[in-house]
Amino acid sequence: MSIEAKKQIIDVGDGAAIPRKSDRGLFTAWRIAFFGAIGTISYLAYSKPDPYLEILKFVPDGIAVTFKVTLGAILLAIVIGLITGLGRISKNRFFNGVASLYVEIIRGIPLLVQIFYIYYALGNIVKVPAILSAIIAMAVCYGAYMGEVVRAGIESIAKGQREAALSLGMNGRQAMIHVILPQAVKVILPPVGNEFIALLKDSSLVSIIAVADLLRRGREYASESFTYFETYTVIALIYLIITLFFSKIIGVMEERVSVNK
Amino acid sequence: MKSLRILTAVLALGLCVASAAFAVPKKAITVASDATWPPMEFVDANKKVVGFDIDFINAVAKEAGLQVTVKNTAWDGIFAGVEAGQYDAIISSVTITPERQAKYDFTVPYVQIGQILVVPKAEKGTKIADLKGKKLGAQIGTTGAMEVKKVAGVELKTYDEVGLAFEDMAAGRIAGVVCDEPTAITYALQKKEYSSKFKIVGKSFTKEAYGIVVKKGNKELVAQLNKGIAAVQKKKIDAQLKKKWQLK
Repeated sequence: MSIEAKKQIIDVGDGAAIPRKSDRGLFTAWRIAFFGAIGTISYLAYSKPDPYLEILKFVPDGIAVTFKVTLGAILLAIVIGLITGLGRISKNRFFNGVASLYVEIIRGIPLLVQIFYIYYALGNIVKVPAILSAIIAMAVCYGAYMGEVVRAGIESIAKGQREAALSLGMNGRQAMIHVILPQAVKVILPPVGNEFIALLKDSSLVSIIAVADLLRRGREYASESFTYFETYTVIALIYLIITLFFSKIIGVMEERVSVNK
Repeated sequence: MKSLRILTAVLALGLCVASAAFAVPKKAITVASDATWPPMEFVDANKKVVGFDIDFINAVAKEAGLQVTVKNTAWDGIFAGVEAGQYDAIISSVTITPERQAKYDFTVPYVQIGQILVVPKAEKGTKIADLKGKKLGAQIGTTGAMEVKKVAGVELKTYDEVGLAFEDMAAGRIAGVVCDEPTAITYALQKKEYSSKFKIVGKSFTKEAYGIVVKKGNKELVAQLNKGIAAVQKKKIDAQLKKKWQLK
Protein backbone atom coordinates (compact mmCIF):
# COMPACT_ATOMS: atom_id res chain seq x y z
CA MET A 1 0.00 0.00 0.00
CA SER A 2 1.36 3.39 -0.90
CA ILE A 3 1.87 6.09 1.68
CA GLU A 4 -0.72 8.36 0.05
CA ALA A 5 -3.41 5.73 0.22
CA LYS A 6 -2.89 5.36 3.96
CA LYS A 7 -3.23 9.06 4.69
CA GLN A 8 -6.98 9.24 4.67
CA ILE A 9 -9.41 10.97 6.94
CA ILE A 10 -11.18 8.47 9.15
CA ASP A 11 -14.85 9.15 8.75
CA VAL A 12 -16.80 6.78 10.93
CA GLY A 13 -19.38 7.42 13.60
CA ASP A 14 -23.06 8.06 13.85
CA GLY A 15 -22.85 11.57 15.22
CA ALA A 16 -24.48 14.58 13.63
CA ALA A 17 -22.70 15.62 10.48
CA ILE A 18 -20.15 18.28 11.26
CA PRO A 19 -20.35 21.10 8.74
CA ARG A 20 -17.08 22.04 7.07
CA LYS A 21 -16.71 25.25 5.16
CA SER A 22 -16.18 23.35 1.92
CA ASP A 23 -19.56 21.65 2.22
CA ARG A 24 -21.97 24.44 1.38
CA GLY A 25 -25.12 22.36 1.36
CA LEU A 26 -24.51 20.92 4.81
CA PHE A 27 -23.59 24.34 6.14
CA THR A 28 -26.93 25.76 5.05
CA ALA A 29 -28.77 22.76 6.47
CA TRP A 30 -27.04 23.33 9.78
CA ARG A 31 -28.17 26.96 9.86
CA ILE A 32 -31.76 26.11 8.98
CA ALA A 33 -31.93 23.34 11.58
CA PHE A 34 -30.19 25.27 14.36
CA PHE A 35 -31.99 28.57 14.04
CA GLY A 36 -35.20 26.82 13.08
CA ALA A 37 -35.12 24.81 16.31
CA ILE A 38 -34.41 27.87 18.43
CA GLY A 39 -37.14 29.79 16.62
CA THR A 40 -39.68 26.99 17.03
CA ILE A 41 -39.01 26.52 20.72
CA SER A 42 -39.20 30.28 21.38
CA TYR A 43 -42.40 30.60 19.40
CA LEU A 44 -44.02 27.69 21.24
CA ALA A 45 -43.00 29.03 24.65
CA TYR A 46 -44.32 32.46 23.75
CA SER A 47 -47.58 31.48 22.08
CA LYS A 48 -48.53 28.61 24.39
CA PRO A 49 -46.78 29.12 27.75
CA ASP A 50 -48.89 26.29 29.19
CA PRO A 51 -47.45 23.69 28.74
CA TYR A 52 -44.39 24.70 26.65
CA LEU A 53 -42.91 27.30 29.00
CA GLU A 54 -43.70 25.05 31.97
CA ILE A 55 -41.77 22.21 30.34
CA LEU A 56 -38.82 24.51 29.68
CA LYS A 57 -38.83 25.55 33.32
CA PHE A 58 -38.94 21.92 34.48
CA VAL A 59 -35.99 20.45 32.56
CA PRO A 60 -32.87 22.67 33.09
CA ASP A 61 -31.38 20.54 35.88
CA GLY A 62 -31.83 17.59 33.53
CA ILE A 63 -29.79 19.39 30.87
CA ALA A 64 -27.04 19.92 33.47
CA VAL A 65 -27.02 16.19 34.26
CA THR A 66 -26.90 15.33 30.54
CA PHE A 67 -23.82 17.57 30.20
CA LYS A 68 -22.21 16.08 33.29
CA VAL A 69 -22.67 12.54 32.05
CA THR A 70 -21.51 13.39 28.52
CA LEU A 71 -18.39 15.33 29.53
CA GLY A 72 -17.40 12.88 32.25
CA ALA A 73 -17.89 9.92 29.94
CA ILE A 74 -16.03 11.41 26.97
CA LEU A 75 -12.99 12.35 29.08
CA LEU A 76 -12.85 8.91 30.65
CA ALA A 77 -13.49 7.29 27.26
CA ILE A 78 -10.57 9.18 25.69
CA VAL A 79 -8.24 7.88 28.42
CA ILE A 80 -9.56 4.32 28.03
CA GLY A 81 -9.44 4.71 24.23
CA LEU A 82 -5.81 5.84 24.24
CA ILE A 83 -4.74 2.87 26.36
CA THR A 84 -6.85 0.47 24.30
CA GLY A 85 -5.63 1.90 20.99
CA LEU A 86 -1.99 1.55 22.05
CA GLY A 87 -2.78 -1.96 23.28
CA ARG A 88 -4.31 -2.91 19.95
CA ILE A 89 -1.08 -2.07 18.07
CA SER A 90 1.23 -3.25 20.83
CA LYS A 91 3.68 -6.08 20.16
CA ASN A 92 3.28 -7.20 23.76
CA ARG A 93 0.97 -10.18 23.30
CA PHE A 94 -0.68 -9.90 26.69
CA PHE A 95 -1.41 -6.16 26.42
CA ASN A 96 -2.61 -6.63 22.85
CA GLY A 97 -4.79 -9.59 23.77
CA VAL A 98 -6.49 -7.80 26.66
CA ALA A 99 -7.18 -4.69 24.59
CA SER A 100 -8.54 -6.71 21.66
CA LEU A 101 -10.73 -8.82 23.92
CA TYR A 102 -12.14 -5.70 25.56
CA VAL A 103 -12.99 -4.18 22.17
CA GLU A 104 -14.58 -7.42 20.95
CA ILE A 105 -16.73 -7.86 24.05
CA ILE A 106 -17.89 -4.26 24.35
CA ARG A 107 -18.71 -3.84 20.68
CA GLY A 108 -20.79 -6.99 20.79
CA ILE A 109 -23.10 -5.84 23.59
CA PRO A 110 -25.78 -3.18 23.14
CA LEU A 111 -25.11 -0.01 25.09
CA LEU A 112 -28.44 -0.24 26.88
CA VAL A 113 -27.59 -3.71 28.18
CA GLN A 114 -24.15 -2.51 29.26
CA ILE A 115 -25.65 0.38 31.19
CA PHE A 116 -28.02 -1.93 33.06
CA TYR A 117 -25.26 -4.46 33.65
CA ILE A 118 -22.63 -2.05 34.92
CA TYR A 119 -25.17 -0.17 37.03
CA TYR A 120 -26.40 -3.24 38.89
CA ALA A 121 -23.05 -5.06 38.87
CA LEU A 122 -21.37 -2.04 40.45
CA GLY A 123 -24.24 -1.82 42.93
CA ASN A 124 -23.37 -5.30 44.18
CA ILE A 125 -19.71 -4.50 44.68
CA VAL A 126 -19.35 -0.87 45.70
CA LYS A 127 -21.72 1.91 46.59
CA VAL A 128 -21.47 4.28 43.63
CA PRO A 129 -23.89 7.14 42.99
CA ALA A 130 -26.17 6.57 40.02
CA ILE A 131 -24.64 9.36 37.97
CA LEU A 132 -21.10 7.99 38.41
CA SER A 133 -22.29 4.52 37.40
CA ALA A 134 -23.80 6.07 34.30
CA ILE A 135 -20.56 7.86 33.44
CA ILE A 136 -18.54 4.66 33.93
CA ALA A 137 -20.96 2.61 31.82
CA MET A 138 -20.91 5.11 28.96
CA ALA A 139 -17.11 5.48 29.15
CA VAL A 140 -16.49 1.73 29.14
CA CYS A 141 -18.63 1.41 26.02
CA TYR A 142 -17.27 4.40 24.15
CA GLY A 143 -13.70 3.60 25.23
CA ALA A 144 -13.81 0.56 22.95
CA TYR A 145 -14.91 2.60 19.95
CA MET A 146 -12.42 5.30 20.85
CA GLY A 147 -9.69 2.66 21.03
CA GLU A 148 -10.38 1.72 17.43
CA VAL A 149 -10.26 5.38 16.40
CA VAL A 150 -6.90 5.80 18.14
CA ARG A 151 -5.56 2.64 16.56
CA ALA A 152 -6.64 3.71 13.08
CA GLY A 153 -5.20 7.18 13.72
CA ILE A 154 -1.80 5.85 14.72
CA GLU A 155 -1.74 3.39 11.86
CA SER A 156 -2.49 6.20 9.43
CA ILE A 157 0.86 7.86 10.23
CA ALA A 158 3.49 6.84 7.71
CA LYS A 159 5.98 4.20 8.85
CA GLY A 160 8.81 6.46 7.76
CA GLN A 161 7.99 8.84 10.61
CA ARG A 162 8.74 6.20 13.19
CA GLU A 163 11.81 4.99 11.34
CA ALA A 164 13.14 8.54 11.15
CA ALA A 165 12.54 9.06 14.86
CA LEU A 166 14.32 5.82 15.71
CA SER A 167 17.27 6.72 13.49
CA LEU A 168 17.54 10.00 15.40
CA GLY A 169 18.22 7.93 18.49
CA MET A 170 14.75 7.93 20.09
CA ASN A 171 13.46 4.75 21.59
CA GLY A 172 10.06 3.33 20.69
CA ARG A 173 8.21 5.10 23.49
CA GLN A 174 9.78 8.48 22.73
CA ALA A 175 8.95 8.08 19.04
CA MET A 176 5.31 7.36 19.93
CA ILE A 177 4.94 10.25 22.36
CA HIS A 178 6.92 12.94 20.50
CA VAL A 179 6.46 12.02 16.85
CA ILE A 180 3.55 9.67 16.13
CA LEU A 181 0.85 10.76 18.61
CA PRO A 182 1.09 14.52 17.93
CA GLN A 183 0.48 13.81 14.25
CA ALA A 184 -2.17 11.20 14.92
CA VAL A 185 -4.18 13.67 17.03
CA LYS A 186 -5.02 15.68 13.92
CA VAL A 187 -6.36 12.59 12.20
CA ILE A 188 -8.15 11.39 15.30
CA LEU A 189 -9.87 14.64 16.17
CA PRO A 190 -12.73 14.52 13.63
CA PRO A 191 -13.87 11.01 14.57
CA VAL A 192 -13.51 11.84 18.28
CA GLY A 193 -15.77 14.83 17.66
CA ASN A 194 -18.24 12.47 16.02
CA GLU A 195 -18.05 10.12 18.99
CA PHE A 196 -18.70 13.03 21.31
CA ILE A 197 -21.91 13.97 19.50
CA ALA A 198 -22.99 10.33 19.39
CA LEU A 199 -22.27 9.98 23.12
CA LEU A 200 -24.25 13.12 23.85
CA LYS A 201 -27.28 11.56 22.16
CA ASP A 202 -26.73 8.12 23.67
CA SER A 203 -26.53 9.69 27.12
CA SER A 204 -30.34 9.76 26.97
CA LEU A 205 -30.16 6.00 27.59
CA VAL A 206 -29.04 6.60 31.17
CA SER A 207 -32.54 7.80 32.00
CA ILE A 208 -33.38 4.09 32.18
CA ILE A 209 -31.34 3.72 35.38
CA ALA A 210 -33.20 6.62 36.97
CA VAL A 211 -30.51 9.22 36.36
CA ALA A 212 -32.41 12.49 36.19
CA ASP A 213 -31.12 13.64 32.80
CA LEU A 214 -32.92 15.70 30.18
CA LEU A 215 -35.01 12.80 28.87
CA ARG A 216 -35.94 11.59 32.36
CA ARG A 217 -37.06 15.07 33.42
CA GLY A 218 -39.18 15.26 30.29
CA ARG A 219 -40.71 11.87 31.00
CA GLU A 220 -41.45 12.91 34.58
CA TYR A 221 -43.19 16.04 33.37
CA ALA A 222 -45.17 14.16 30.74
CA SER A 223 -46.19 11.37 33.09
CA GLU A 224 -47.94 13.77 35.44
CA SER A 225 -49.30 16.33 33.02
CA PHE A 226 -50.15 13.79 30.29
CA THR A 227 -48.75 16.22 27.69
CA TYR A 228 -46.65 13.59 25.96
CA PHE A 229 -46.60 15.11 22.50
CA GLU A 230 -45.77 18.61 23.71
CA THR A 231 -43.08 17.40 26.12
CA TYR A 232 -41.27 15.21 23.63
CA THR A 233 -41.42 18.01 21.05
CA VAL A 234 -39.53 20.25 23.47
CA ILE A 235 -37.09 17.50 24.50
CA ALA A 236 -36.27 16.67 20.88
CA LEU A 237 -35.72 20.34 20.03
CA ILE A 238 -33.43 20.84 23.03
CA TYR A 239 -31.33 17.81 22.07
CA LEU A 240 -31.18 19.10 18.50
CA ILE A 241 -30.02 22.56 19.57
CA ILE A 242 -27.35 21.09 21.86
CA THR A 243 -25.95 18.62 19.32
CA LEU A 244 -25.93 21.17 16.50
CA PHE A 245 -24.22 23.69 18.77
CA PHE A 246 -21.47 21.23 19.67
CA SER A 247 -21.04 19.94 16.13
CA LYS A 248 -20.40 23.54 15.08
CA ILE A 249 -17.82 24.04 17.82
CA ILE A 250 -16.08 20.79 16.91
CA GLY A 251 -16.13 21.83 13.23
CA VAL A 252 -14.38 25.09 14.11
CA MET A 253 -11.83 23.23 16.26
CA GLU A 254 -11.03 20.88 13.41
CA GLU A 255 -10.46 23.75 11.03
CA ARG A 256 -8.08 25.36 13.52
CA VAL A 257 -6.11 22.14 13.76
CA SER A 258 -6.02 21.54 10.03
CA VAL A 259 -4.83 25.11 9.30
CA ASN A 260 -1.39 24.54 10.83
CA LYS A 261 -0.94 21.24 9.06
CA MET B 1 -78.50 -21.20 -15.93
CA LYS B 2 -76.69 -23.84 -14.00
CA SER B 3 -73.89 -21.48 -13.13
CA LEU B 4 -76.41 -18.94 -11.87
CA ARG B 5 -77.89 -21.58 -9.59
CA ILE B 6 -74.47 -22.41 -8.20
CA LEU B 7 -73.78 -18.76 -7.70
CA THR B 8 -77.05 -18.33 -5.80
CA ALA B 9 -76.21 -21.35 -3.69
CA VAL B 10 -72.76 -20.02 -2.90
CA LEU B 11 -74.21 -16.62 -2.02
CA ALA B 12 -76.81 -18.17 0.22
CA LEU B 13 -74.18 -20.27 1.94
CA GLY B 14 -72.00 -17.22 2.38
CA LEU B 15 -74.87 -15.33 3.98
CA CYS B 16 -75.51 -18.22 6.34
CA VAL B 17 -71.86 -18.34 7.43
CA ALA B 18 -71.75 -14.58 7.85
CA SER B 19 -74.90 -14.45 9.92
CA ALA B 20 -73.65 -17.33 12.03
CA ALA B 21 -70.44 -15.45 12.72
CA PHE B 22 -72.34 -12.38 13.79
CA ALA B 23 -74.99 -14.27 15.69
CA VAL B 24 -73.36 -13.48 19.04
CA PRO B 25 -72.07 -9.93 18.65
CA LYS B 26 -69.34 -9.99 21.30
CA LYS B 27 -67.46 -6.73 21.19
CA ALA B 28 -63.71 -7.27 21.30
CA ILE B 29 -61.63 -4.80 23.30
CA THR B 30 -57.92 -4.52 24.03
CA VAL B 31 -56.89 -3.60 27.55
CA ALA B 32 -53.41 -2.37 28.43
CA SER B 33 -51.63 -3.34 31.63
CA ASP B 34 -48.11 -2.69 32.89
CA ALA B 35 -47.20 -6.15 34.12
CA THR B 36 -44.56 -5.06 36.65
CA TRP B 37 -46.82 -4.54 39.64
CA PRO B 38 -47.36 -7.77 41.54
CA PRO B 39 -49.76 -9.08 42.71
CA MET B 40 -52.07 -6.87 40.64
CA GLU B 41 -50.45 -7.49 37.26
CA PHE B 42 -47.18 -9.24 36.51
CA VAL B 43 -45.60 -11.77 34.18
CA ASP B 44 -45.51 -15.29 35.62
CA ALA B 45 -43.00 -18.08 35.01
CA ASN B 46 -44.88 -19.06 31.84
CA LYS B 47 -44.48 -15.53 30.44
CA LYS B 48 -48.19 -14.93 30.84
CA VAL B 49 -49.61 -11.71 32.20
CA VAL B 50 -51.46 -12.65 35.38
CA GLY B 51 -52.68 -11.03 38.57
CA PHE B 52 -55.76 -9.68 40.30
CA ASP B 53 -56.45 -7.04 37.65
CA ILE B 54 -56.21 -9.56 34.83
CA ASP B 55 -58.63 -11.98 36.50
CA PHE B 56 -60.87 -9.06 37.36
CA ILE B 57 -61.09 -7.63 33.84
CA ASN B 58 -61.81 -11.08 32.46
CA ALA B 59 -64.63 -11.54 34.95
CA VAL B 60 -66.01 -8.07 34.18
CA ALA B 61 -65.82 -8.72 30.45
CA LYS B 62 -67.66 -12.00 30.84
CA GLU B 63 -70.48 -10.28 32.71
CA ALA B 64 -70.59 -7.39 30.24
CA GLY B 65 -70.47 -9.59 27.14
CA LEU B 66 -67.10 -8.31 25.99
CA GLN B 67 -64.11 -10.14 24.63
CA VAL B 68 -60.84 -8.99 26.19
CA THR B 69 -57.23 -9.13 25.01
CA VAL B 70 -54.67 -7.93 27.55
CA LYS B 71 -51.70 -6.05 26.15
CA ASN B 72 -48.56 -5.71 28.26
CA THR B 73 -47.57 -2.04 28.03
CA ALA B 74 -44.87 0.05 29.71
CA TRP B 75 -46.32 2.30 32.41
CA ASP B 76 -44.60 5.44 31.14
CA GLY B 77 -46.82 6.44 28.25
CA ILE B 78 -49.64 4.03 29.04
CA PHE B 79 -52.11 6.94 29.20
CA ALA B 80 -50.91 8.36 25.90
CA GLY B 81 -51.70 5.00 24.29
CA VAL B 82 -55.34 4.99 25.35
CA GLU B 83 -55.67 8.56 24.12
CA ALA B 84 -54.16 7.60 20.75
CA GLY B 85 -56.54 4.64 20.49
CA GLN B 86 -53.85 1.93 20.59
CA TYR B 87 -56.05 0.11 23.07
CA ASP B 88 -59.52 0.67 24.47
CA ALA B 89 -58.89 0.66 28.20
CA ILE B 90 -56.24 0.40 30.92
CA ILE B 91 -56.43 -1.88 33.93
CA SER B 92 -53.13 -1.40 35.69
CA SER B 93 -53.70 -0.44 39.34
CA VAL B 94 -54.61 3.07 38.20
CA THR B 95 -55.65 5.27 41.11
CA ILE B 96 -58.54 7.58 40.32
CA THR B 97 -57.23 11.15 40.80
CA PRO B 98 -58.83 14.47 39.82
CA GLU B 99 -55.91 15.21 37.45
CA ARG B 100 -56.38 11.93 35.64
CA GLN B 101 -60.16 12.33 35.61
CA ALA B 102 -59.73 15.65 33.83
CA LYS B 103 -58.02 13.86 30.93
CA TYR B 104 -59.55 10.37 30.91
CA ASP B 105 -62.77 8.65 31.87
CA PHE B 106 -62.85 6.13 34.70
CA THR B 107 -65.18 3.33 35.65
CA VAL B 108 -66.49 3.09 39.19
CA PRO B 109 -63.78 2.20 41.75
CA TYR B 110 -63.11 -1.52 42.08
CA VAL B 111 -60.40 -1.82 44.77
CA GLN B 112 -59.42 0.38 47.71
CA ILE B 113 -55.72 0.64 48.56
CA GLY B 114 -53.18 3.10 49.97
CA GLN B 115 -49.57 4.16 49.59
CA ILE B 116 -47.04 2.71 51.99
CA LEU B 117 -43.35 3.20 52.75
CA VAL B 118 -40.77 0.41 52.47
CA VAL B 119 -37.31 0.95 53.99
CA PRO B 120 -34.20 -1.09 54.78
CA LYS B 121 -34.42 -3.00 58.08
CA ALA B 122 -31.96 -0.67 59.86
CA GLU B 123 -33.98 2.49 59.12
CA LYS B 124 -35.64 4.09 62.16
CA GLY B 125 -37.89 6.57 60.35
CA THR B 126 -41.50 5.54 59.88
CA LYS B 127 -42.82 8.13 57.46
CA ILE B 128 -41.61 10.05 54.41
CA ALA B 129 -40.97 13.21 56.45
CA ASP B 130 -38.54 11.26 58.67
CA LEU B 131 -36.26 10.71 55.67
CA LYS B 132 -35.43 14.36 54.95
CA GLY B 133 -32.21 14.89 53.06
CA LYS B 134 -32.39 11.38 51.63
CA LYS B 135 -33.46 9.94 48.30
CA LEU B 136 -36.74 8.08 47.98
CA GLY B 137 -37.71 5.98 44.99
CA ALA B 138 -41.04 5.46 43.25
CA GLN B 139 -42.27 4.44 39.84
CA ILE B 140 -42.56 7.33 37.40
CA GLY B 141 -45.98 8.97 37.21
CA THR B 142 -47.52 6.97 40.06
CA THR B 143 -49.39 8.31 43.06
CA GLY B 144 -46.44 7.06 45.15
CA ALA B 145 -44.11 9.44 43.27
CA MET B 146 -46.60 12.27 43.81
CA GLU B 147 -46.71 11.59 47.56
CA VAL B 148 -42.90 11.77 47.82
CA LYS B 149 -42.89 15.00 45.84
CA LYS B 150 -45.32 16.58 48.28
CA VAL B 151 -42.82 16.36 51.14
CA ALA B 152 -40.20 19.14 51.05
CA GLY B 153 -36.59 18.16 51.71
CA VAL B 154 -36.88 14.64 50.33
CA GLU B 155 -35.41 13.91 46.93
CA LEU B 156 -37.59 11.88 44.59
CA LYS B 157 -35.99 9.40 42.22
CA THR B 158 -38.31 8.00 39.59
CA TYR B 159 -37.93 4.56 38.05
CA ASP B 160 -39.48 2.93 34.99
CA GLU B 161 -40.46 -0.08 37.08
CA VAL B 162 -40.95 -0.32 40.82
CA GLY B 163 -38.74 -3.45 40.84
CA LEU B 164 -35.77 -1.31 39.78
CA ALA B 165 -36.40 0.97 42.74
CA PHE B 166 -36.33 -1.98 45.14
CA GLU B 167 -33.11 -3.23 43.51
CA ASP B 168 -31.56 0.22 43.95
CA MET B 169 -32.58 0.22 47.61
CA ALA B 170 -30.93 -3.19 48.02
CA ALA B 171 -27.76 -1.65 46.54
CA GLY B 172 -27.98 1.18 49.06
CA ARG B 173 -28.56 3.96 46.55
CA ILE B 174 -31.90 5.10 47.97
CA ALA B 175 -33.33 5.19 51.49
CA GLY B 176 -36.90 4.08 50.80
CA VAL B 177 -39.53 3.17 48.24
CA VAL B 178 -43.15 4.36 48.18
CA CYS B 179 -45.72 2.28 46.31
CA ASP B 180 -49.16 0.68 46.59
CA GLU B 181 -49.57 -1.49 49.68
CA PRO B 182 -50.23 -4.83 47.90
CA THR B 183 -47.11 -4.39 45.76
CA ALA B 184 -45.06 -3.35 48.80
CA ILE B 185 -46.17 -6.52 50.59
CA THR B 186 -45.17 -8.67 47.62
CA TYR B 187 -41.73 -7.11 47.29
CA ALA B 188 -40.80 -6.48 50.91
CA LEU B 189 -42.30 -9.53 52.59
CA GLN B 190 -42.75 -12.27 50.00
CA LYS B 191 -39.67 -12.03 47.78
CA LYS B 192 -36.89 -14.15 49.24
CA GLU B 193 -34.03 -11.84 48.28
CA TYR B 194 -35.71 -8.80 49.85
CA SER B 195 -37.59 -10.08 52.88
CA SER B 196 -34.41 -10.21 54.96
CA LYS B 197 -33.40 -6.70 53.94
CA PHE B 198 -36.55 -4.59 53.89
CA LYS B 199 -39.49 -3.82 56.14
CA ILE B 200 -42.77 -2.01 55.72
CA VAL B 201 -43.17 0.86 58.15
CA GLY B 202 -46.37 2.41 59.47
CA LYS B 203 -49.74 2.00 57.85
CA SER B 204 -50.80 3.02 54.39
CA PHE B 205 -51.11 6.81 54.50
CA THR B 206 -53.44 7.54 51.57
CA LYS B 207 -56.92 6.40 50.68
CA GLU B 208 -57.07 5.56 47.01
CA ALA B 209 -59.28 3.59 44.68
CA TYR B 210 -58.40 1.85 41.44
CA GLY B 211 -60.51 2.40 38.36
CA ILE B 212 -60.42 1.19 34.77
CA VAL B 213 -59.34 3.96 32.37
CA VAL B 214 -60.95 4.59 28.99
CA LYS B 215 -60.55 7.38 26.47
CA LYS B 216 -62.36 10.59 27.37
CA GLY B 217 -65.84 10.54 25.90
CA ASN B 218 -66.15 6.78 25.39
CA LYS B 219 -69.32 6.69 27.49
CA GLU B 220 -70.53 3.45 25.93
CA LEU B 221 -67.53 1.43 27.08
CA VAL B 222 -67.60 2.99 30.56
CA ALA B 223 -71.26 1.99 30.88
CA GLN B 224 -70.55 -1.57 29.72
CA LEU B 225 -67.60 -1.97 32.09
CA ASN B 226 -69.57 -0.46 35.00
CA LYS B 227 -72.34 -2.94 34.32
CA GLY B 228 -69.79 -5.77 34.38
CA ILE B 229 -68.18 -4.49 37.59
CA ALA B 230 -71.59 -4.27 39.28
CA ALA B 231 -72.37 -7.87 38.30
CA VAL B 232 -68.97 -9.10 39.47
CA GLN B 233 -69.41 -7.36 42.82
CA LYS B 234 -72.95 -8.64 43.20
CA LYS B 235 -71.81 -12.21 42.60
CA LYS B 236 -68.94 -11.67 45.07
CA ILE B 237 -66.42 -12.73 42.41
CA ASP B 238 -64.15 -9.84 43.39
CA ALA B 239 -64.03 -11.10 46.98
CA GLN B 240 -62.88 -14.50 45.72
CA LEU B 241 -60.21 -12.88 43.57
CA LYS B 242 -58.97 -10.79 46.49
CA LYS B 243 -58.57 -14.01 48.46
CA LYS B 244 -56.79 -15.70 45.56
CA TRP B 245 -54.26 -12.87 45.19
CA GLN B 246 -54.01 -12.26 48.96
CA LEU B 247 -55.32 -8.71 49.00
CA LYS B 248 -56.73 -7.31 52.20
